[in-house]
Amino acid sequence: MSRLRLAGTGVAKRFGRVAALAGIDFEIEPGESVAILGANGAGKSTWLRILAGLAKPSDGRFVAELAEGSARTALSREQLRGRVGYVGHATLLSGELTARENLVFAARLHGRRPSRAEQDALLAELGLAELADRRVSTLSRGTAQRVSIARGVVHEPDVLLLDEPFTGLDEVAAARLSRQLSRLRARGCSLVVITHDPQRAVELADRALLLHRGRLRGATRRSEGEAFGAPALRDALVRLAREDEANAEAGAGRGAGERDGAGRERDTNGDRGERAGTPERGA
Amino acid sequence: MNVALALLWKDLLCEWRSRDRLVAMIVFSILVVVVFQFAWPAAPKEQTEALAPGVLWVIYLFAALLGLGRTFTLELENDALTALALAPGTRGFIFLGKAAASFVLIAAVQAMTAFVFALFFRLDWLDAAGGLALVVALADVAIVSVGTLFSAMSARSRFREVLLPVLLIPSLIPVLASAVRATAATLGGEALTLAALQPLVVIAGIYAILGFLLFDPVLDE
Repeated sequence: MSRLRLAGTGVAKRFGRVAALAGIDFEIEPGESVAILGANGAGKSTWLRILAGLAKPSDGRFVAELAEGSARTALSREQLRGRVGYVGHATLLSGELTARENLVFAARLHGRRPSRAEQDALLAELGLAELADRRVSTLSRGTAQRVSIARGVVHEPDVLLLDEPFTGLDEVAAARLSRQLSRLRARGCSLVVITHDPQRAVELADRALLLHRGRLRGATRRSEGEAFGAPALRDALVRLAREDEANAEAGAGRGAGERDGAGRERDTNGDRGERAGTPERGA
Repeated sequence: MNVALALLWKDLLCEWRSRDRLVAMIVFSILVVVVFQFAWPAAPKEQTEALAPGVLWVIYLFAALLGLGRTFTLELENDALTALALAPGTRGFIFLGKAAASFVLIAAVQAMTAFVFALFFRLDWLDAAGGLALVVALADVAIVSVGTLFSAMSARSRFREVLLPVLLIPSLIPVLASAVRATAATLGGEALTLAALQPLVVIAGIYAILGFLLFDPVLDE
């Protein structure tokens, strides 16, 4: 069972003059599964890379803690990387290696040496037993993505971070992947999944967060009933997109991400944590 | 150290299967030896012996540049570089693994180049082989250390083909000068003294330590 708690206060990330994250507050409790939804360029991948220990926030405070009873031990970024699994848009695999060799390599990077039986069990769990000794460069996108997930969990992370894992998969492969992720979750592995698809978010997560232009604009939990359904989430995303269109038409550049005359971004509404969708609780 | 060994294993296995860097470096080195054979015909033996260390190191340097340039571009395929950046602990061990793999490949190409060079120019280097190997190994530590660091820094740049030589060649001039002097001494039949090797030992040590320490922010975003 996951013991890793991730929390941030005013977490911001800038790339030069571009603000990818404009100061967000969040908490991801041990064992919780969270979906992050938002349009392209909302800052979702940047957030996930901060959670993975791949990027440092430019501003704000990000804490990763191991919770044991009431005691909490803060982790350094180096320690955090050992506790998370990461699956990106790309597979992060070496094409010249076989599926099994990629798993062994990933495990060794985390200081582990899984036995042959452990490798076989993991490969079988992800439906890769027959393909274990095929080079990754010869595998289809869907199969390579499953190998990528096996790579992401081979060191038994507390949290699996997934950045649009369904990209490029057909319906059958996506449904299969979704089932496999649900199984991982049932085993106690937390998931933080970025997806454009509200239906997938509902299937995999206990809580959905809406990110828009680097700001948290809404959150909803499974316990909220219909508000957590795919139609409600889709409506919230559409509403945010329409808001953008309206701002563009108004031409005045109201809202987050507005640029001043010198091309710098400035915050005009101070709406950190503003709720555009359903109310945010605990995020 | 596990991370370094895992990376060494992975890089050598990938290279064995693709022969990507090895073939490029070997073909380049042999072609340059052939070009020198035609550009420098029938020179007296003394003149050949005098120029050989410098020519050999120019070939070594540019062949190494070719190999080092691809050290991290391979990791860009499928964004495998992110998988390396996700390794827990000190990223200096990623540097060590990458540098060790480059060292093995570059040293293999250099041994073959020396053999072909001696064959083409009818030079008897057999007695000096041990000394030459020591000089080359020390210089290679410096070359792969700074080369691995700069290769990682330039890997995500659009201008990586230009950026790497621009960064690497100036920083390798002290290595080149010391290596040519030590090579000339050992090929000339002189016993290798500590004084002759000292500059290479110092530079290799400094570059290796700097590479280890500076690698962490290079993989950060």
